[in-house]
Amino acid sequence: MFTSNNIVARIFERQIRTPAPSTSVHRARQFYENLVPSYTLYDVECPDHSFRKFTDDGQYLISFSRNHQDLIVYRPTWLSFSCKEEDCDTHDLPLKAKKFESFFTQLYCVSLASCNEFICKDFFLYKESNQFGLFATSTAQIHDAPAIGGAIQGVPSIEKITFHLLRLEDGVILDEKVFHNDFVNLAHSMGVFLYDDLLAIVSLRYQIIHILQIRDSGNLVDLRAIGAFCREDDELFLNSNAQCMAIPDKSKHQFPVNHLQNGLHRNLANLDNSFLSGIKQRLLSFIFQEIWNEETDPTRRVRCLKKKFYYHFQEYVDLIIWKVQFLDRHNLLIKFGSVEGGVSRNADHCSAFFAVYNMETTEIIAFYQNSSDELYLLFEQFCDHFHTSRNSLYMNFISSHSNNIHALEQLKCIKSKASVTSQFVKKMLAVLPLNCQSQSPSPYFDQSLFRFDEKLISATDRHRPSTDHPIKFILRRQPYSLKFKIKPGPEGGSTDGRTKKISSFLFHPILPLAISVQQTLFLQASVVNIHFRR
Amino acid sequence: MGSMLGDWPSFDPHNFSQLRPSDPSNPSKMTPATYHPTHSRTLPPPDQVISTEAKNILLRHFYQRAEEKMRPKRAASEHLTPEHGSKQPRASASDASY
Repeated sequence: MFTSNNIVARIFERQIRTPAPSTSVHRARQFYENLVPSYTLYDVECPDHSFRKFTDDGQYLISFSRNHQDLIVYRPTWLSFSCKEEDCDTHDLPLKAKKFESFFTQLYCVSLASCNEFICKDFFLYKESNQFGLFATSTAQIHDAPAIGGAIQGVPSIEKITFHLLRLEDGVILDEKVFHNDFVNLAHSMGVFLYDDLLAIVSLRYQIIHILQIRDSGNLVDLRAIGAFCREDDELFLNSNAQCMAIPDKSKHQFPVNHLQNGLHRNLANLDNSFLSGIKQRLLSFIFQEIWNEETDPTRRVRCLKKKFYYHFQEYVDLIIWKVQFLDRHNLLIKFGSVEGGVSRNADHCSAFFAVYNMETTEIIAFYQNSSDELYLLFEQFCDHFHTSRNSLYMNFISSHSNNIHALEQLKCIKSKASVTSQFVKKMLAVLPLNCQSQSPSPYFDQSLFRFDEKLISATDRHRPSTDHPIKFILRRQPYSLKFKIKPGPEGGSTDGRTKKISSFLFHPILPLAISVQQTLFLQASVVNIHFRR
Repeated sequence: MGSMLGDWPSFDPHNFSQLRPSDPSNPSKMTPATYHPTHSRTLPPPDQVISTEAKNILLRHFYQRAEEKMRPKRAASEHLTPEHGSKQPRASASDASY
């Protein structure tokens, strides 16, 4: 888009030429080709916290204390020293500048977890419009918890899970939501999805999707709970009916008194009724209708139903909700699967299903198996719509195979190499529903600007195996030159090559600033490097 | 002040010699040509409102597919609801097997 690679020439060009329609942001991002974090401060002495991420507007750096009980928030700043000499570039940075504190000022330290609770350091969601942050603390997991009160057998239980809503500006805790004897998948925010101001929390243990709203005042308001009930007044209706039914049947007359948060949901699930209610009923009737509508001939229809529905009936009934995401304010994408796959980390061998559910009409719109080619094609073409919410502008520019030709080429390459298409489709669809806010909006990960090794570093914030070689970022356009390198770990490389090391990278979304943290798996000591544009 | 373009260097000195300077007291009589349609076939309906579709394209695909699948339901629903005057009796082989 610019005719020259020189930054001054580009600035002049920006003054006189308007960009092509709808490409003004792309043109602005091209300046990141010139301003790169090429200088590295190795092994910076910094407080021993685990740094989580920069917020997506670049205002805060979130970190947790080593004992996982405190939250420390920093404000990213920049170096502020000046050099009075003529030829400043050759001078080394003053010692004062090489400290962690010259890049980050601590704003506050808040204790979130009490004695036996721990902050889940993989969990953090940010509501940019109000600068609210959502954190989670939990007590220890209890495996082999008994399946009482409507809980699913096989899912562990956590005595207390608390979600804290904080105003990041000053660290004030605005609201909390507590779940008792429940299980929510907190790792990498998998069990929670934030869409604008709507929050979906999946209670794996009780199979309920809690929909909450984060109000501007900072309150977490319950909107609905989807599971055994679909509409808000289902519970009331079934309650009044159940009470009428309970009178002649003395064995079911006693309702256990329930003080806990999840309300009468579990009471009614306790009742030994053979009716499947709520979302399970919607799902099964949709599958039935779909198969019914395929055939018009009655005998063939019955055969089809027997083969596709009744033969697998128990399997369908036993499906549990694994994960949920919003597709828009009314529609959810729900992943169903077996009990074993919901808890274990490696669920590739289990069969899984996807359903699109409309919360307002309580209808299931679509149902796919995880090997569905149709769903894969939609994912390939419209991947952005799985994680874009209309209000955040930067989300539109995160590279994906739907909006970037280089990413699409990479995908097609993997597709052509895959021997079995159904395995490939399953592997691709395994990322659905997407994890909320897991991609960094930094322009250095823009595939149309830079080329880099996706196995060593990428926009997704996951730990990666660390190598001693620096990670290269090469220009996508002419002259395809190496622009900068990110090297985690100490400058001279590590002395022992045998211990496995993992690295994580935190890129500031706007400034040419990045932190790389290299850790060995056993010792907690980590090496923190700061990469910035000098 | 001279004419707007008269004093500027030009390749041929006779260029722009016929251009008269624009006089603020006498505004230019140039009005752009107005084009009128000769027929009314392409007029939009009077109550037409153009707005953005609220559902994004992904959801539109899901809903469209759902509608396509539900369309043969019209043939099927005749069997399910006898009060619509269907020709086949309710007690057919398909229902007896449940």
